[in-house]
Amino acid sequence: MRKRIVVALAVLCGCGRQERPEARDARPVIGVSLLNMANEFIVTIQEAMKERADELGVRLILNDAQRSPERQVQQIETFIAQKVDAIVLNPCEVEASSPAVQKALAAGIPIVNVNSETRVSPTAFVGSRDEESARIGMDYLARRLNGTGGVLMMEGYMGQAAQIKRSAGARDVLKKQPGLQLLASQSAEWDRAKAVTLMENWLQSYGKNVRAVFAQNDEMAMGALLAIERAGRKDDIVVVGVDAIRDALQAVRDGRLAATVFQDGRGQGRGAIETALHLIRKEPFTGETFIPFQLVTQENVAKFMP
Amino acid sequence: MRCLFDKATGKRWLNVWSGQFGIVLALFATCTVLALLCPQFLGMANLTNVVRQVSINGILAVGVTFVLLTGGVDLSLGSVVALTGVAAAHLAHPGDFPLAIPVMAGLLAGAACGGVNGLVVTRGSVPPFIATLGMMTVARGLALVLSNGRPVSNMSPAMTRIAGDCAHVPIPTLILAAVALGAWWMLRNTRQGRYLYAVGGNGQAARAAGINVRGVKFLAYMLCGALAGLAGVVLAARITTGQPNAGTAYELDAIAAVVIGGTSLSGGVGGVGGTLLGVLLMGVIGNGLDLLNVSSYYQLIIKGIIIVGAVWFDRRHQTAGKEHGR
Repeated sequence: MRKRIVVALAVLCGCGRQERPEARDARPVIGVSLLNMANEFIVTIQEAMKERADELGVRLILNDAQRSPERQVQQIETFIAQKVDAIVLNPCEVEASSPAVQKALAAGIPIVNVNSETRVSPTAFVGSRDEESARIGMDYLARRLNGTGGVLMMEGYMGQAAQIKRSAGARDVLKKQPGLQLLASQSAEWDRAKAVTLMENWLQSYGKNVRAVFAQNDEMAMGALLAIERAGRKDDIVVVGVDAIRDALQAVRDGRLAATVFQDGRGQGRGAIETALHLIRKEPFTGETFIPFQLVTQENVAKFMP
Repeated sequence: MRCLFDKATGKRWLNVWSGQFGIVLALFATCTVLALLCPQFLGMANLTNVVRQVSINGILAVGVTFVLLTGGVDLSLGSVVALTGVAAAHLAHPGDFPLAIPVMAGLLAGAACGGVNGLVVTRGSVPPFIATLGMMTVARGLALVLSNGRPVSNMSPAMTRIAGDCAHVPIPTLILAAVALGAWWMLRNTRQGRYLYAVGGNGQAARAAGINVRGVKFLAYMLCGALAGLAGVVLAARITTGQPNAGTAYELDAIAAVVIGGTSLSGGVGGVGGTLLGVLLMGVIGNGLDLLNVSSYYQLIIKGIIIVGAVWFDRRHQTAGKEHGR
């Protein structure tokens, strides 16, 4: 019984301490709904947002939609009910997250899409063009092969905006490079373990014809690399990924991974908060901010290392 | 009571054999088709790949066989794989600890998750579906907390060796073989093993016969969790990182393999031999579809049809056999 009272007191005190300053808080509030906080890249965006919000004196309410557009719409509804000053949306899906944007606009709350798009245009957009990342990666790969050889492509989760756009960008380059032969293109669902298995199987079916692998994210590139290294083919197959996650940067520095493409998650996160604050203060703002991708190879990897 | 127990055992043997006949046939047919369609399929290197690729699902499937035999289910496997992989990877940085520490940490973390599942199911009388669903989200959350949502990399060579080869045989395959052999022996020759069937076949009768039903079920969940921990360690070694979002839907692959292998979802019937065949069938299909470069969209459709088809064929065969016997 005594224990229970202690716990109850602790809970009460804890709540009290949290609530009091909030009630007097005059800082602007931004509601943020993120695609998936179990994804390293999204975590980077989120950390950049928190950092920028602290610098600018903005209070953030961070919600994780856990890949569910339906949950995302609910979160926006809650933000509207809470009367936040602005919303930053990291959409789960082009079509299914659109109602979230509509609802915010209808409620008169400015909304900024970060990283990816929805069909309904928000007040502003901060992100990158996914096609561009694949184009940069595939271009580099073509240069490394001098325009000839068999290429394999590992695709992301089928049907997601990033997979569709990265495939389109990669295929654009392949069309202009008749010497590059696309041996196969399969999904490893952004997943490292699935990529190891797929690459092992590919090495069986395409053997010596494989000269390069383009993976639509670094997780899959790292998986392909592991399978290639275990098969003793490291020196004759070029592997390129996208995203510049920490593991991939390390592998580029060690000369294992040929290249990755840096998507500036930090820049996107900071940019989204800045744009949202401009909107809250009714200052002039940029409708569409595109943060460029950059190729990362052994020569310039040092400046991307954390 | 004695008589009832014997009858159940006799029936079990019949089902095990007829179940395995159907699955052996399906496996043989799939292999024949693949061998005809792509010459690389039967190559030594590819067959080595197949047994390597099935080992993680195999370890999980053996574990969940125990649980399914008691009439339960474990949906938390995939998340436990992620949690134990992250836990092991944290302790497996070069120069930190001897290899035994991360491996034991993975196993113990898995056993702890399984033990909690077992307690909630037996002491709390929570349906296994719900209890393990809860563990599925809790373990995933713990994996994310422990890793800050990021892959845990920088793994010692000793740890990655677990996914390597020993005299041309993949070590994960050897681990699976040892696990399967141990489980097979336990189910056949130990009292606890026989009790698993009795509890799943008829819980009331088992209790009346003086079997500690709660204890037996608890043991099944804990063993299943420990094996999920082992699978998590092997997966982490295979991909040289602890991934907080690894293992999604692994439980479904494992359960599918067990059911394809003739173990009943309602308990009391089945065994490790069938489970291994189910695991192999699923592995061969995945490998073959990749070799044939079947589009990702169609792969999903084909896999689903083969899983349901194999079980359908198997059950038809079983009922036909029973009617014939009458």
